[in-house]
Amino acid sequence: MTFTSLAARNILRNKLRTALTICGVAVAVITFLLLRTVLSAWTSAADFAAKDRVVTRHKITFVMQLPKRYIDQVRQMPGIKTATWANWFGGKDPKHENEFFASIAVDPGTYFEVYDEMEIPQDELDAFKADKRGVIVGDAIAKKLGWQIGQELTLESGIYAAPEGGEWKFTIRGIYTTKARSVDRSSVLFHWEYLNDGLPEARRDEIGWIVSRVGDAKQTADMGVKLDKVFDDQDVQTLSQDEASFNKSFLAGFSMVLKALNLVSLVILVIMALVMGNTIAMGVRERTSEYGTMRAIGFMPKHIVFFVLGEAMVLGLLGGLAGVGLGYPFVEKVLGRWIEENLGAFFPFFRVPPEWAVVALLLSMVEGLVAAGIPAWQASRIKVTDALRRVV
Amino acid sequence: MMIPLRYNIRSLMVRKATTAAATLGIALVVFVLASALMLSEGVKETLSSAGREDIAIVLRKGSDAEMGSTIEDPQIGLIKSMSGVKRESDQPLGTGEVVIVIALEKLGAEGVTNVLVRGVTETSHKLRPDVKIVEGRLPSPGSDEVMIGRAIRGRIKGVELNQSFDLKKNRPVKVVGVFEDNGSSYESEVWADLDNVRASFGRQGAVSSVRVVLDSPASFDAFQAGVESDKRLGLMAKRETKYFEEQSQGTSIFLTFLGGLIAFFFSIGAMIGATITMYASIANRQREIGTLRALGFSRFSILICFLFEAVLLSLIGGLLGLVPAIFMGSIELSMVNFASWSELVFRFRPTPEVLGIAVGSAVVMGILGGFLPAVRAARTSPLAAMRA
Amino acid sequence: MSEQAESIIRLRSVTKEFERGGERLRVLENLDLDVGRGAFEALMGPSGSGKSTLLNLMAGLDRPSGGSIEIDRKRIDQMSEGELAAWRANNVGFVFQSYNLLPVLTAVENVELPLLLTPVASSERRKRAETALRVVGLQDRMQHYPRQLSGGQEQRVSIARAIVTDPILIVADEPTGDLDRKSADEILTLLETLNRTMGKTIVMVTHDPAAAERASMTRHLDKGRLKGEEAPNREPAWEAKT
Repeated sequence: MTFTSLAARNILRNKLRTALTICGVAVAVITFLLLRTVLSAWTSAADFAAKDRVVTRHKITFVMQLPKRYIDQVRQMPGIKTATWANWFGGKDPKHENEFFASIAVDPGTYFEVYDEMEIPQDELDAFKADKRGVIVGDAIAKKLGWQIGQELTLESGIYAAPEGGEWKFTIRGIYTTKARSVDRSSVLFHWEYLNDGLPEARRDEIGWIVSRVGDAKQTADMGVKLDKVFDDQDVQTLSQDEASFNKSFLAGFSMVLKALNLVSLVILVIMALVMGNTIAMGVRERTSEYGTMRAIGFMPKHIVFFVLGEAMVLGLLGGLAGVGLGYPFVEKVLGRWIEENLGAFFPFFRVPPEWAVVALLLSMVEGLVAAGIPAWQASRIKVTDALRRVV
Repeated sequence: MMIPLRYNIRSLMVRKATTAAATLGIALVVFVLASALMLSEGVKETLSSAGREDIAIVLRKGSDAEMGSTIEDPQIGLIKSMSGVKRESDQPLGTGEVVIVIALEKLGAEGVTNVLVRGVTETSHKLRPDVKIVEGRLPSPGSDEVMIGRAIRGRIKGVELNQSFDLKKNRPVKVVGVFEDNGSSYESEVWADLDNVRASFGRQGAVSSVRVVLDSPASFDAFQAGVESDKRLGLMAKRETKYFEEQSQGTSIFLTFLGGLIAFFFSIGAMIGATITMYASIANRQREIGTLRALGFSRFSILICFLFEAVLLSLIGGLLGLVPAIFMGSIELSMVNFASWSELVFRFRPTPEVLGIAVGSAVVMGILGGFLPAVRAARTSPLAAMRA
Repeated sequence: MSEQAESIIRLRSVTKEFERGGERLRVLENLDLDVGRGAFEALMGPSGSGKSTLLNLMAGLDRPSGGSIEIDRKRIDQMSEGELAAWRANNVGFVFQSYNLLPVLTAVENVELPLLLTPVASSERRKRAETALRVVGLQDRMQHYPRQLSGGQEQRVSIARAIVTDPILIVADEPTGDLDRKSADEILTLLETLNRTMGKTIVMVTHDPAAAERASMTRHLDKGRLKGEEAPNREPAWEAKT
């Protein structure tokens, strides 16, 4: 028997209460992990963005487009390795009205050079390039909606009216996949030419945004400034950002939600402390005479504090282990996969950040210590003679 | 025979610390749940108060919102001439508007935010008689003057009375008035002259949407049939109230879902807290309970007695959580609205339903958390009275 | 008796006051007391007479409001809380009315508990605890938890715990108060044996005259003062032996 084992021994005293407390802490830890996962998934598109890519868009509004000739000007800039362009199509599959996926008109020749983290079998890419109505789709959306290569696809756009007397019709030519955490695996990509040719004269030759790769990643920010300067005197001004900032700008509107989630993840810690503090305080109150006995035998107040804090820390650790032990595999194997497959457009990468799992574990222990602070202090201040009198 | 309520109240008072811990846990759950529901109600209210039953809005088929929709000018006349449209001095009452979302720098925070700019005509004001200038004056038609909603005032660089901001390079607009509209979503918009907006963004010859006033709310079906029968137009009509309801859906469902999910997890923690408290309270009172049993109280009345104590505990917590939640009602928040992808300013809105749901959930937590301990109490033998 | 050279407990003009409800309560009044080394003394008196307070002072659980307390030639009335705790760990063994065993520990672990405060190695601790349990006759109950023992057995574990550190003084507060006659007799016999064979000085508070009779001497306390000392029941064990 040692001091530590003595401290841990009380955990088993009231098994039901300990079990309930561990459950409470575990639930709090799981909630905390989920919140942190949502937060990190939310910003993963920005956090894992490529450092050498610059996105150029309309300065004032993302609703408006750029003249197509801008792409040539970008390509002429010294320091730009390669550049491509794309238009947001806002398409929906009428057979799956409520299914959201990104649909983008791209330049087949250069898009996958700029986004080289997207992996497509060479034969599928060739087939896509050769077919003006071809599309390449993400593996997540293909799996979800049961799309096969060779299948016909009809999309309706809320932005672009279908060509005179027809529909936007495509054939699936390839499926891309990726290991990059910032890339959505449920996009639908098709030939920009096909879109452009189907539009009325007035709306032709406009592009949504330009993405360029910079030879030297250190120059990315400077390049953005340079590009904007080039277009400043022309009819449409631009805003060029590195990819992380560009992705982040879409999150700006959610700053309230992100703040709230951050706050809630702190409130969860308060609940955790309440549950543990309640349990520890009850235990201490019930054991007043025992602590009195130990003090009489010669144990010092610091020993009593050690016993109470030790018990609380073990309790927190057990709860934390239970929480991380249940929560981590649940997100990793079940929830995360489901979300990536079904809500991939919003959360392309939904996994528990391992560092947060460690933090959660440490926090539950620290929380135990914090929660036990007051009871431990009270226990250490017990007057031996009073504590012993209570027994008699 | 039931055990008097006083007994429970006293026993909660005796165990102050643990009662406080358990009620605080429940209070936090109720606070989070109520706040989320109030937000969701706030979004709904803000958007729905913008709509009118007797106005129809026409958009390009497939467009979810005005922003993504395009209607060519020649179609405007066609739409206004449809049956069911109200006439005033022999002119059909309706107008095309352009909606654009522009990025402007935030004040007091880093980064940009998207602001909805509506290009309006003189008729636009007739469609929204509640829109009133609260400071400054109406912009003069055909000019580069704009008015701004009360809610976004002072949040964004240049969006303040007598200041100006760019719609396009070297094309500043001047803010001459601030308006309000009973807290509707219009208060988060900038209203500029239709032609000025179209010129600034190169959108001459087209509008985003067309609104018409109907003869009566009942005329909508006829109007809709007229607009949608001609497939070549590729248009669709919606009642304005329904349109705004749909605009609020994404955001309000998102907030309800997120808040509900968090509250659900929280409530498990709080229920466990209540269970621990009740178990301890019962363990400390074995003798008392035994005495009650010996006096002749039935198992059932003991069960009810302790369930009641648990509900009392959670109810106190629930009410405790509602107080700060109700105070949240005075806070204004801004968040992107999914439908327009622009900033929407709204308030927490405490409706009776929200408060009812929050308190109700506290009671449910009390019953669930107190059930097992109450069962244990009910199974106490009268002999427990004799034991030390 | 007071001239006895070998007095292990020496109290001089000891006063103890308590504050209760804003009122000063004088529990012990200018008290002188000498207990000889190897004595087995009983302390009797009506409740509220201050006998438990006196015992607490002798055991170093509390400090006097005035006067001096010397145990084994060491002044303990001036010691700080921490010094007192360390002193108790080395010099005093406690026996309580309701045994005060830790329910989460086995008999042998309960006995081992005070040794945690000493530098004794852990294997040695266990050995000593087992020896102490053998002394009280519980060698076959070592791995039992308190709730698996009878009251008398629990009290014997508690006595084993009191002697395991080999203290110079054992204080017992109503050690037979919760026991039936037969168990009480066994406990008293055990205390007697410890006193006689191991030379432990024992001070026992009791209200049971039958228990007091087993001590070598009984003192009566009333309203904070010692009533005229009573003749020893018999010769102090230590002296008898030497």
